[in-house]
Amino acid sequence: MGIRADEVPFVGAYDASHLSHFNYHDEAPMWWGFWGIIMIETTVFAALIASYYYLNLSYPEIPPAGVKKPDLLMGTISSLVLLSSSYSMHKADSASEKGDVKTLKWGLLVCIALAALFLILKVFEYSKVEYRWDSHAYGSIVWGIVIFHSAHVTSLVLKTIFIAYLSWRGYFNKDRHLGVTINGIYWHFVVIVWIPLYLVIYWSPRLF
Amino acid sequence: MEKAERETIKAPSDNRYYSAAEVEDVAELDRTWASPTGIVGWFQVVNHSNIGRRYVITAFVFFLLAGVLGLMMRTQLMQPEMKLLHPDLYNQIFTMHGITMMFLFAVPVMEGLAVYIVPLMLGTRDMAFPRLNAFGYYVYLLGGITLYVALLFGIAPDAGWFNYPPLASSEFSPGMRVDIYAMLITFIEIAALVAAVELVVTIFKQRAPGMSLNRMPLYVWSILVTAFMIIFAMPVVMVASMFLAFDRNVGTHFFEALSPAGQGPLLWQHLFWFFGHPEVYIIFIPALGIISSIVTTFARRPVYGYTALVLSIVATGFLGFALWVHHMYTTGLPQLGLSFFTAASAMIAIPSGVQIFCWIATLWGGRPQFKTPLLYVLGFFFIFVLGGLTGVMIASVPFDAQVHDTYFIVAHFHYVLIGGAVFPLFGGLYYWFPKFAGRMLSETAGKWSFALMFIGFNVSFFPMHNLGLMGMPRRVYTYIEGLGWNDLNLMATVGAYVLGVGVLISLINVIYSAINGRESGPNPWDSDTLEWACASPPANYNFSPMPAVDSLHPMWDMKERGVRPAVTGVRTDMRQVLTTTLMDARPHALSNLARPSIAPLLLTGAVGLGFIGFLFSINWLILSFFLAFFAIVYWNYPRYDERTPPWKKEGENGN
Repeated sequence: MGIRADEVPFVGAYDASHLSHFNYHDEAPMWWGFWGIIMIETTVFAALIASYYYLNLSYPEIPPAGVKKPDLLMGTISSLVLLSSSYSMHKADSASEKGDVKTLKWGLLVCIALAALFLILKVFEYSKVEYRWDSHAYGSIVWGIVIFHSAHVTSLVLKTIFIAYLSWRGYFNKDRHLGVTINGIYWHFVVIVWIPLYLVIYWSPRLF
Repeated sequence: MEKAERETIKAPSDNRYYSAAEVEDVAELDRTWASPTGIVGWFQVVNHSNIGRRYVITAFVFFLLAGVLGLMMRTQLMQPEMKLLHPDLYNQIFTMHGITMMFLFAVPVMEGLAVYIVPLMLGTRDMAFPRLNAFGYYVYLLGGITLYVALLFGIAPDAGWFNYPPLASSEFSPGMRVDIYAMLITFIEIAALVAAVELVVTIFKQRAPGMSLNRMPLYVWSILVTAFMIIFAMPVVMVASMFLAFDRNVGTHFFEALSPAGQGPLLWQHLFWFFGHPEVYIIFIPALGIISSIVTTFARRPVYGYTALVLSIVATGFLGFALWVHHMYTTGLPQLGLSFFTAASAMIAIPSGVQIFCWIATLWGGRPQFKTPLLYVLGFFFIFVLGGLTGVMIASVPFDAQVHDTYFIVAHFHYVLIGGAVFPLFGGLYYWFPKFAGRMLSETAGKWSFALMFIGFNVSFFPMHNLGLMGMPRRVYTYIEGLGWNDLNLMATVGAYVLGVGVLISLINVIYSAINGRESGPNPWDSDTLEWACASPPANYNFSPMPAVDSLHPMWDMKERGVRPAVTGVRTDMRQVLTTTLMDARPHALSNLARPSIAPLLLTGAVGLGFIGFLFSINWLILSFFLAFFAIVYWNYPRYDERTPPWKKEGENGN
């Protein structure tokens, strides 16, 4: 004993002054934060898929007798549109890492256009569906999944409009592009999570 | 620095001598990290110690409210055919008691305590996303207040805290009550989730240099596991309650009882308990961390079996997700499923047992000092082991089928939850209060409070085992003469009041000692972890300079070696912290944290408008989606001066 803990002198163990405060990828808390939100949302989508199959097993026939199976052609076309947006987001993101602001600016606009096209195709497709969410349990879960995912795509569009606005204002450069990167990660997530949802909605009734 | 170089300026906060350069640093840190003041300023505060304190105080207010509801129920049940509470009000009261204890007390208080303590234990200056922290708190506060306003108007939820359809369907529960449940549970869980993400990221990225995963305090481990459990459990209850809200308001058919096989309502039970069982461990695992801290400090030795304890905390986290069906034994599920969940339920006894033995071994090999925090831990051992024993009993299907929905279950989960969470939490309160307030709580009052709580708890809840075995169902608002339940019910009521007096003594102790208590100094218990290295209560920036560590017990090392390692070169003119690598905590970048802002409050308003407005029309939900977008833009809008302090604006713009 003898020494009072609060009177103990410090010794320099590490000098941090040379470290950068621009963080990229796993250096940045924000990057990890977005993986957190992706884990949460993955759980939500998993619960939706589990509910789909639970209801599938609870009813003798899903979709119910007399209801047409989902339109495979329309669903596939719109899915391909959404998938292609991930490619242009990847282009925009890697351009921003190299400091290629021009590709970034136009790449983001292409992303927004593709996502908006996906939404328009979805509205077109589901306006022709003859059942609604309150028709039967199958309608409830299918509309639930589609609306929930479309809300995500809408939020992607809104977020990316903001990011595009900043990049047209010249905010992003070679050093400062974390905002583009994490927006991109979330974009890829919303696109990739559509693949299992697409398989569940369009292929599952045909296979089982 | 050399001792001779030190100036004789003595800071009153931590009683330490500072050199001239240090004095300058501290003054600048004070300016940089100052929280806004005034009424508008109150809503802009983002500092983790302020937000953590608000969380803990608010959660205890809800604890007291729910306790009063519990006492009202016990008073009603004191004698057969009492007329104190109308059955309709009784339904609302037991529902609100459950909702409050689970959603408004247990989870927020554990997260709030972590928000306060974890950054201090990690040796950092704030959490990774300070504004998100404030947002979580406002969401929680708004949600809690709305529920209690509903109770005042007599429209509180009344279908039980697990709210099973078809009872909770619009057919059998018309009106707004169950809608309030469905929307506000979803809303409040947003708070739990943002705090969880924030805790994970802070623990991953902002540990002091040298605090590799195997040098992380057990409390931090327990919070890390809890946060992951919240991330995987809470979204499921949000899905379930949104389904229910849509069933009730826009005519969807998720939980319809009239489905051909009649399985709709069981979908709710699956989704709810997939969240609901992990929820129990979300409450219990932080308590394990509190206990580990207290046992280490008061046994005066390193904890026995650190690795085994970490592994059992992680194992408990995993197993917690494989148990949900044991709440559904009486619903006619397939035998094979029941066998699996029986095995998993029994298996959870293994990590729990490992932990108990490690703590006993630590106390055995140490020189235990029986201060109030340790008494609460010993109370935990007794009560929790009893609750665990009844848990093993009801993990078996035939026994559970017998006592399902009786007071035996009520006794079991109060033993597990009060024993497993409330007693350790009170221990933690007595242990960390000096850090919150800079003053010691009264030991005498603490021991009285513990004794009354311990006796009152057992007198109140032990007889409920017998009542359950005698067939008294839970949630009845009264019972008739001649069933042989009178004496045990009276005993339970008397016990409940004794328990209440015990809690009241602690409440008075806290209020009195916050003003008049003996000053504690930075490290009154001579503990081992970093939160005791800073002043009590901590300054807004926590540490100057930021610490580094090279063992599990930095404070004890420091005493032995006479020096403490520190990080230099972190800027004092902006809210800057060091980020370190995930496994080994090697420094690899600096991170500039957000400054105080009103944006979290605006976002809370936007989101709250949607969830509360949904009670009237779904259009509010759609409006709130877009309002929330604008609030988020405002929140994140880059300000060029964000990165540099106002007095250094020129020349550094655009960084």
